[in-house]
Amino acid sequence: MPAARNLRMIELIHLGRAFTRGDGQSVQAVDDVSLIIPEGQFVCLIGASGCGKSTLLQMIAGLLEPSAGSTVVAGEEVAGPGRERGMIFQKDSVFPWMKVIDNVEYGLKCRNVPPQQRRELARAYVRRVGLAHVENAWPRELSGGMLKRVAIAAVFANGSPVLLLDEPFAALDYVTRHHLHDVLLDLWEEPGKTVPRTVLFVTHDVDEALTLADRIVVLHDGRVVDDLAVAALRPRTTDSLLLPEMVAIKHTLLAHLGLEQAAKKPAAAGAAA
Amino acid sequence: MTALQLRLDHLVSLLVFLALAGVWQILSVIYTAEAQPGEPMVAGWQVLFTKTFLSLADYWQGGFGVPAVAEGAERSYLAALLSVLAHSINTIGRLVLGLALGGGVGLLLGLAMSWSPWSRRLVDLPIQFLRGLPLLAMVPLFQLWFGIRYTGEVLFVAYGIGVIFFAGTVNAVRNVPQIYIDNARSFGASRAMLYRTVILPAIFPAMRSTILLSLGAGWGAVLGAEYLGAQSGLGYVIVYAQEFAFLDRMFLIALLFIFYTSVSYWAISRLSVRLLAWAPPSQRQ
Repeated sequence: MPAARNLRMIELIHLGRAFTRGDGQSVQAVDDVSLIIPEGQFVCLIGASGCGKSTLLQMIAGLLEPSAGSTVVAGEEVAGPGRERGMIFQKDSVFPWMKVIDNVEYGLKCRNVPPQQRRELARAYVRRVGLAHVENAWPRELSGGMLKRVAIAAVFANGSPVLLLDEPFAALDYVTRHHLHDVLLDLWEEPGKTVPRTVLFVTHDVDEALTLADRIVVLHDGRVVDDLAVAALRPRTTDSLLLPEMVAIKHTLLAHLGLEQAAKKPAAAGAAA
Repeated sequence: MTALQLRLDHLVSLLVFLALAGVWQILSVIYTAEAQPGEPMVAGWQVLFTKTFLSLADYWQGGFGVPAVAEGAERSYLAALLSVLAHSINTIGRLVLGLALGGGVGLLLGLAMSWSPWSRRLVDLPIQFLRGLPLLAMVPLFQLWFGIRYTGEVLFVAYGIGVIFFAGTVNAVRNVPQIYIDNARSFGASRAMLYRTVILPAIFPAMRSTILLSLGAGWGAVLGAEYLGAQSGLGYVIVYAQEFAFLDRMFLIALLFIFYTSVSYWAISRLSVRLLAWAPPSQRQ
């Protein structure tokens, strides 16, 4: 990795968000989270349901205002959504009234990229996610996995240096999810790009985090409780997940998720930045 | 639905339609009362399509080389046909202009409710106030403001339609799934872009019923406007016929109205099916 990369691509500074429940009680969904993510890192944010990981991502995306602290992305404080932070949602976000190719072009259109140029770029990404044969189809004609491919192509075509993914594959079957991991990593490690995009990927699936991440941040009750580096080489296969250091990380993560009694501290643990 | 079932459906509808026409014909034979000598209360089809239709020539104001009955000319089928066409064009013109104006303004004001807190503040209270005023209560006001001018009639129709469009738009915008708005914003869409590419297409399925509803109200409003002193249009013909108790003429015009409203509903349905090619079939019907 070249040394020219920004070591503070995403910076969360004492970030917090409180909600008021229907019964009038205040709930601290995200509580004083500080985190620095260098450019090009693939970070998985893991935690049990309701631990505040989606809220955190929404704040970084600028879709939700923090009640405390701030987020700085590429040196600029986040004040709302912006195209430098592409987002892939858990629910289907592909516009049903636009054909596949028009969906992929959408971000480029927002930036007034000339029609010819944006069509070519969109076509290239539609091809890379394996949807060239359905580029003129309506989204209603596609499967759930194909819709995710459209969303991935659209976000990558838009060229955002930071990608925020909120449990994007949670609703998909095992096989489709694995195919999409490959699609995602293939685009992320884009050949010719000196520094890959910075990715923050929210998941509750331990194996998914181990397959994808350079670094896994564990959230519990709105706070960061652990920050683990994953050093295994890519591409990671089923065998990679059986390496002793991977198994150790898995035990730690499962313990954090309340699925194992005691956390075994892995050798590779520690801040990855 | 198979093609056979569809044809059976159409056949049954046609038979019901013919049965209704038959019932009317039987009534015309049984019930022979007259509103005045020579003017049956229930006119049979043979009367409606000959004598009644011909009598519509009375409302032809002359032109195209066909003189008006009022100028001493004989009644003719050509004059009757021209009369029906001219009055229909007048009525449909008022409706279309009113729809365009009322629909456009209602839609824009409806969108303004969600555009920004400021636009909402500006629009909300005055529109809620206007919404509370029943259309029929506005009739005398419109009459006094605009007299029998064409503008007044168009504005009356536009008012009736605009109120429905406004309410429909506000409701439809409220139901746009947040995920599409978030998605567009995270792509960097400007507010104008968001409204043009996301809000407008997303509200269309819901707006379809609003459009059909306002079309119904529009036909009602245009008739209402024409009852109130217009000098042309199908409503004017009905009012004029009523003064002389020409029930058959009123009935014939009412039939023409049914035909026009049906065609307009059919046209909107066809258009929306085309525009909703992207939506699942359940939303298109």
